[in-house]
Amino acid sequence: MVRSDGGQLYTIEGFAAALIMISTAYLVVNATSVYTAGDTHINDMQLETLGTDALTVMGTPMNTTEYDTANSTLRMILEAPDRDVMFRTKFLELVNSSGTGPKQDIQFVANYTCRIDNSDSTIPPLQPLSSSSRSLTGGEHPVRVTKWVIVNTPCGNETTRDRAVLVEVLLWRD
Amino acid sequence: MARLNDDAQWIVLMGFLVSFSFFFLALVINQATVVGQTTAESVIEFPKNDIRDVRSIIIRTESDTIQKDVYAISLGRKNAVVYYTFPFTPCYGKYSCTQIHFKSGVTEYDENWTSP
Amino acid sequence: MSDDSAVLSIDFLVGFTIFLLAFIWVLSIIPGLLIGLQAFTIDYDAVAYRTGVILVEDPGQKSTNETSWEIATFQQNYNKADVLRFGLAVSREDPNILSLDKVNRFFDNTTFNYPGDYHNRSIFGDYPYRFNISLKYIGSPESAKSIGEVLPEGYGYIRRFVKIKSMSNATIDGSNLTFLNNERFINGDNTTRTHIFSILLNNTDLIGEGSLVKDAAYKIIPGKESFMINLTYLNQTIVNAMNVSQENCFNISLNNTIVSDSTRTITFFDPIIDEVPLHMTTPQPVKRNVSILYNTTANRRGLNWEAPQITISLIFNLIPTGEPGCTMGSRFLNNTYTAPFDYDNNPNNVTQPQLRDAVVEVAVW
Repeated sequence: MVRSDGGQLYTIEGFAAALIMISTAYLVVNATSVYTAGDTHINDMQLETLGTDALTVMGTPMNTTEYDTANSTLRMILEAPDRDVMFRTKFLELVNSSGTGPKQDIQFVANYTCRIDNSDSTIPPLQPLSSSSRSLTGGEHPVRVTKWVIVNTPCGNETTRDRAVLVEVLLWRD
Repeated sequence: MARLNDDAQWIVLMGFLVSFSFFFLALVINQATVVGQTTAESVIEFPKNDIRDVRSIIIRTESDTIQKDVYAISLGRKNAVVYYTFPFTPCYGKYSCTQIHFKSGVTEYDENWTSP
Repeated sequence: MSDDSAVLSIDFLVGFTIFLLAFIWVLSIIPGLLIGLQAFTIDYDAVAYRTGVILVEDPGQKSTNETSWEIATFQQNYNKADVLRFGLAVSREDPNILSLDKVNRFFDNTTFNYPGDYHNRSIFGDYPYRFNISLKYIGSPESAKSIGEVLPEGYGYIRRFVKIKSMSNATIDGSNLTFLNNERFINGDNTTRTHIFSILLNNTDLIGEGSLVKDAAYKIIPGKESFMINLTYLNQTIVNAMNVSQENCFNISLNNTIVSDSTRTITFFDPIIDEVPLHMTTPQPVKRNVSILYNTTANRRGLNWEAPQITISLIFNLIPTGEPGCTMGSRFLNNTYTAPFDYDNNPNNVTQPQLRDAVVEVAVW
């Protein structure tokens, strides 16, 4: 009897096709990724918009008299002795208010920076301004928002003069 | 030599067809998932509020100590180089102008501001 | 000769089976690729953010490239087809500061219809999104203004904080005779019956280059914004030379209100007399109060509102009641020969625009 091995071709072709399909499937499934809610940074963007808007609204003078003296709610808070309580009350009142939207629980830690007079480049460490009830533990993903204000304060051990100060707030959602 | 038997090539061709269509599908799906993400990231990345903020302080500057404050704190805390001319130079008759320059490494902004 | 006796070789079967098994396995992976994908929900937050920026940071646009889309160009007829894009900000240089007129016009659902009008002018895009836009004053018990549907379970959302510029107004209190006499606003004698009281809007001081108010967020711009002038307790202003009231002797009638820019004159037909808005073509009796509210539907056509001086004149007539012992005329609110009332940036004369905190929310689904 003559052994015919002409049909082995079919087997080999079958194997080859199967191998091609499986390797493509493997490569494709590994290449596309599933985006989680955090990866898209949409929440970060919403929080950052919220924070900058709140600081802008606090830092805008209310009428032309306040504008002429470069005064605003934020400046009055920074120049007051009980600035941490005032800042917390005003900021949380703004940030947690909402009309028809969802209620939110936003926490924050606020600091401000000013320049040392006798040196042009060294920045002193952050002066604490205020914080909400919870402090930063490291598990949150806070967003940083800043606002410039012109105030007339000593700011640490410096002299009292008109100075430009940067208020920084770290915001996160519980 | 006898002609090679290529009757079974259609199996491999089918295999290729499936692979290519699978690949194409995955490509299309990949583009769709980034729609929301790139909007949010580009919003965060462009320093619109930083520029507006610094500009509003520069316009109200009244001393060169404030100018030094702005330069130093921008560089130290915001990682941005800010430069502007102070005192404002007189221009167009009774107005005063200043050249504002802001560079954050990714974004650069230049403006010639005229006081109203 | 080919053998077509319909018998398949074993090798062929094996090869084909392996191929088929692999094919079925690959097909079953495909649904897993589509897990994270929902066709239109992925961009709800992006659309909401974009709409938020358009509303809060842009002043809007008409088809003529002007930004005062809230003002009716002809009488009371407001042509909504003229509006290309909504925007609530006062001007391009004042983002996050909204104009009250624009806010009122935007939330007026007798003018614009949900969803078509709003979609074409603020949401944009081909897909028919549904949305809800609302505005609420912070710290005030006023209820929120909103347009759109009730919020469902899942939606894209953005919240913006803003300041809203309130309307400027002036009140001339007729019972405060000391003030009126100091300003020389009470004039006339025993025979005068017709009295003209003028209010001056000095644009050189209000919006000109020499204006003390530099920022559009605090300026009074009569041509583009609403303003109100109240004259109260007019009955107590009918006095004689000794400042004794002649109230019983005369009835007050408002003949006309004219507005002039020193070259042209138009008539204002819609004062509010004794708290009742009227459309006046003939003289009307006044018991106590007259208010001139120049809002976005008031007729501004025919006048150049950027002219250096705009004067609003109210023409009153004193009609004798016929009581015995009365003179033929009397002194009254009249500054025809003295200086007009200055509607300017002095907070003692005019209540200046104030900025109030508010929150705007946009939800898209």
